[in-house]
Amino acid sequence: MFFHISMEKNMQLHPRHFGPHLRDKLVAKLMKDVEGTCSGRHGFVVAITGVDDIGKGLIREGTGFVTFPVRYQCVVFRPFKGEILEAVVTMVNKMGFFAEAGPVQIFVSNHLIPDDMEFQTGDVPNYTTSDRSVRIQKDSEVRLKIIGTRVDATEIFCIGTIKDDFLGVINDPGAAA
Amino acid sequence: MSLAAESPLQSSSSSDDFAAFLDAELDADSSNSSPNGESNDDEEIDLKEERIKRRKVEMSETIEVIESSKTADVNKEKSVLSSESTKPNLCPHPGFIKGLCLMCGQIEEDDGSGVALSYIHKDLKLGSHEMNRLRGADLRNLLHVTADEDHLLKQADLLQDDPNRSLFKLGSMHMLTKLRPFVRTFLKEASPMFEMYVYTMAERCYALEMARLLDPSNIYFNSKVISQSDCTQRHQKGLDVVLGAESVVVILDDTELVWQKHKDNLIVMERYHYFASSCHQFGFNMKSLSQCKKDESDTEGALANVLNDLKHVHHIFFDPALDTDLSSRDVREMLKKVRQDVLHGCKIAFSRVFPSTVRAADQHIWRIAEQLGALCTTDVDSSVTHVVSTDTGTAKARWAVQNEKFLVNPRWVEAANYFWCRQKEDDYVV
Repeated sequence: MFFHISMEKNMQLHPRHFGPHLRDKLVAKLMKDVEGTCSGRHGFVVAITGVDDIGKGLIREGTGFVTFPVRYQCVVFRPFKGEILEAVVTMVNKMGFFAEAGPVQIFVSNHLIPDDMEFQTGDVPNYTTSDRSVRIQKDSEVRLKIIGTRVDATEIFCIGTIKDDFLGVINDPGAAA
Repeated sequence: MSLAAESPLQSSSSSDDFAAFLDAELDADSSNSSPNGESNDDEEIDLKEERIKRRKVEMSETIEVIESSKTADVNKEKSVLSSESTKPNLCPHPGFIKGLCLMCGQIEEDDGSGVALSYIHKDLKLGSHEMNRLRGADLRNLLHVTADEDHLLKQADLLQDDPNRSLFKLGSMHMLTKLRPFVRTFLKEASPMFEMYVYTMAERCYALEMARLLDPSNIYFNSKVISQSDCTQRHQKGLDVVLGAESVVVILDDTELVWQKHKDNLIVMERYHYFASSCHQFGFNMKSLSQCKKDESDTEGALANVLNDLKHVHHIFFDPALDTDLSSRDVREMLKKVRQDVLHGCKIAFSRVFPSTVRAADQHIWRIAEQLGALCTTDVDSSVTHVVSTDTGTAKARWAVQNEKFLVNPRWVEAANYFWCRQKEDDYVV
């Protein structure tokens, strides 16, 4: 789920950037450092929408670096247990399939795929029902529910299920066949 | 409606659940009331809209949904899932990926009992129960073949050699690789009959490069390349990391040494010596194929023979005339039976092949001959049909020539082992 929240970070700036464009340089550095990172509490920082306030800089003892406390607004993405998401399938194998919803990778194991869908191996591995009406393959879009999340330093990984009502394939790229 | 009925149960069960988070942050409890009203509308809209939905889901909507009825056996899988989500400690935790249970999403408590299957995904670990279940579930019309790629399907060398269309240069590893003739056809023909794995003792990056050369479109070996880092024991290859029951796996390799525990599943194949350096490596002082400026024959080379053998085994295994159940058939038995037919009816005496002081029955060549269905004996008598010798001057050899028995060198037995058929004795004269 996406959130628009206010966060604060202490940014250190090297003296070579001091000058008339100090604020711009500070904001640029903030964007470079923060966008694309991930934390356990907030999730992925997708984009910084604006800078609220830059506090007074404090010169560090011993080095010439200056620390500015910056308050900024950003859009974050964090998956929750129990949340329903749409995702795009990236890889299918015997154990289940991997799907991606933005920066988050979700694995749906074959235990949590309905029993009437079976794995078909071949040059396009897929899961398909016995009457071939529903098929999950690479680049299919599926709606899934998250049942567990794990946050690393750089990424969030989830386990999902499609075994509930209203979950499963939304759009199949090979459906015309 | 099932959706609404489940969510209040789940929202109270864990701390990173969204509804609980909202409650905590906003001090409001609007999240539970809204799905109740909307879900009935959803049900009607679904039936009219053309969405791709499973028929099973539509059937389940007609089932009475009161919370207590969830435990009824009518819709068994749904009740299992809901009980798992409310009581995660009943989940059998079949395996873990990145530390999360595959079924309930709980964080793993590491007790070291799983098998790391890092060739499928780098953080996948499966418990032994789950591995057995997967192996048992996969007895469709496919046997499994694991092939060692080095020296079997191709050969790599560090020198420069003549360019050829089956010769590839790997810039990143400074190696030259030659594909064995017939390998592409072999893979194409074997793939509808077998699920194929590559199992090598080389490093993972080398193994993946080679798999890419053999299989550029990643059809045959997708997630099925097993390398040295996946082996659970040093210097030994095992079938514990292969997701197939031992009774349906056929192994193709050039050495028996690394497969001590699974010799019955093994078909030994001839090594492919294209480059001169590999001949030196193995201590042969014959010329390599590139030095002789020729290559293995496409249609009669080792790969073509093995393909025929595999087709034969596959045919016997899936023979509808057999009355035993598919899951109780064992490919090892079939391999043994086929092997027994090769030298059936031959009685072999050995002369100057191994010293007479050692126990004859322990000798390698004796055992190979017995596996191939021949009877072996130490002394000559009238029932002996072949004398295997390295020297024409021995007493047994002269006896063979006198009594018009076949006198062959030990390579005849080895050739029978490689080609799985009785070779012409005239080609192996001493």
